[in-house]
Amino acid sequence: MGKNGFSDHTSRQLNETLEGIHERVMAMGGLVEQQLGDALAALISGDMDAAERLQATGETINAMDVELDNRCVTILARRQPAASDLRLVIAVIKAVADLERIGDEAERIGRMALRADQASAYKDLLAGLHELGSGVRASLRDALDSLARLDAEQAVAMVRRDVITDRRYAKLLSRIMERMREEPEAVRELMKLMWAARSLERIGDRCCNLCEHVIYLVKGKTVRHTSPEQLGIRAGVEQG
Amino acid sequence: MIVQSLQRPQGIRPPQTAAAVEAKPTEARAAAGTQAATIKLSVRNLNFYYGSFQALHDINLDIPAQRVTAFIGPSGCGKSTLLRTFNRIYELYPRQRAEGEILLDGRNVLDRRQDLNLLRARVGMVFQKPTPFPMSIYDNIAFGVRLYERLSRYEMDERVEWALRKAALWDEVKDKLKQNGTMLSGGQQQRLCIARAVAVKPTVLLLDEPASALDPISTAKIEELISELKKDYTIVIVTHNMQQAARVSDYTAFMYMGRLVEMNDTDTLFTTPANKQTEDYITGRYG
Repeated sequence: MGKNGFSDHTSRQLNETLEGIHERVMAMGGLVEQQLGDALAALISGDMDAAERLQATGETINAMDVELDNRCVTILARRQPAASDLRLVIAVIKAVADLERIGDEAERIGRMALRADQASAYKDLLAGLHELGSGVRASLRDALDSLARLDAEQAVAMVRRDVITDRRYAKLLSRIMERMREEPEAVRELMKLMWAARSLERIGDRCCNLCEHVIYLVKGKTVRHTSPEQLGIRAGVEQG
Repeated sequence: MIVQSLQRPQGIRPPQTAAAVEAKPTEARAAAGTQAATIKLSVRNLNFYYGSFQALHDINLDIPAQRVTAFIGPSGCGKSTLLRTFNRIYELYPRQRAEGEILLDGRNVLDRRQDLNLLRARVGMVFQKPTPFPMSIYDNIAFGVRLYERLSRYEMDERVEWALRKAALWDEVKDKLKQNGTMLSGGQQQRLCIARAVAVKPTVLLLDEPASALDPISTAKIEELISELKKDYTIVIVTHNMQQAARVSDYTAFMYMGRLVEMNDTDTLFTTPANKQTEDYITGRYG
């Protein structure tokens, strides 16, 4: 058995090539996690150092997106992978796209950070964003974990928990809009918080995508557009 | 037709293109992540004839050192013909001649003064059909070595083991070196032939469809072996299986009707070929 749980091919080169893209996408995931952490630190705590790191990290993430895409195309052209190898390459191509978008959303969140004097007026909303952000960070961590361990069951569980993110987002959005009605002069700052919340909700959706790619990779099942109730059965991890 | 040349050290002139097409002295990009390799073999204005039939037309290309270069193309395009000029094996047959230059480490192997035995020791060849000699495994390896070197018994034993290890065959045959080589399986016989070729310490290995007679698992082992051997040898492989070329080679040359159509690093040739003929061939639109 090779690294990462893949069994060995006769071709050591093919083994290394496939393990290489798996490791690289995990490295990209780690960077995206860091990006999200910095973005939330900038937004919630006004951490300017964290805010400054966002652009450089974003550029690195974009470069990895292009690099991994090219590597996957080369594998498809040169190695003609089949079965689980093919699904790995496809899953990596899709996961990379989602990770790159998460990185972009994280950068956007960072840009929504309010000035310190403004932030003090919206502590309760920032607390709501903190709660939402913590949940999304956990989702991203779990999604990446399931990709690292090729764990379809964990992936299913994570997708089902996304409903919590959606509920938190809806509740926070409602509070922000109420504040807008009460303080129309503050709509600019409140819009920033709303966009940040929206970006977090989108990241949550992207994490679900990552988990769907894991399920496809591990089980060979396409589970897009499947309800949470049916997901386990469609993914082949639960009995019908 | 566009002939793409590899990056080359300064001072070496770029190849001449076919007269029918405007010259485009583009340089092929090296495979991503690799540095430009030094050139082991240079082919200049090579034409080849079977009697009055011209099989190769004005071939110009470079073979990088310690890399795998694959020749692909439809049947009869001249792949094997070109391969066989590198060690002048065609001279075993009447009415076959080559004109032009083939520079091996800067010296023209087509020069009449070239010692053919020495050339064929430096440029080894493995054929499509495994051809073990009807003698023991040990003697299959030792036979060629004895033609060029005088080794003691101990030294010969060492060389035989070394060659069989190089061919990833030692562990399978170490306890039966006295067994006749023809008793091995097809895949083992082919690796024996590779061991026989490397035993005389060549610098170039020519492989003419080395796996086409083998089952898929043996083929995979041969391909894995090729990946290992290129660390020490310059390898040129002819294959009608372009997926094999895509898997094992660093550079690929596409030939058609005796002409070199395109040569580039394999990544580029199989993802974004410059020439439409190449694209049509590798996508299965003809050939």
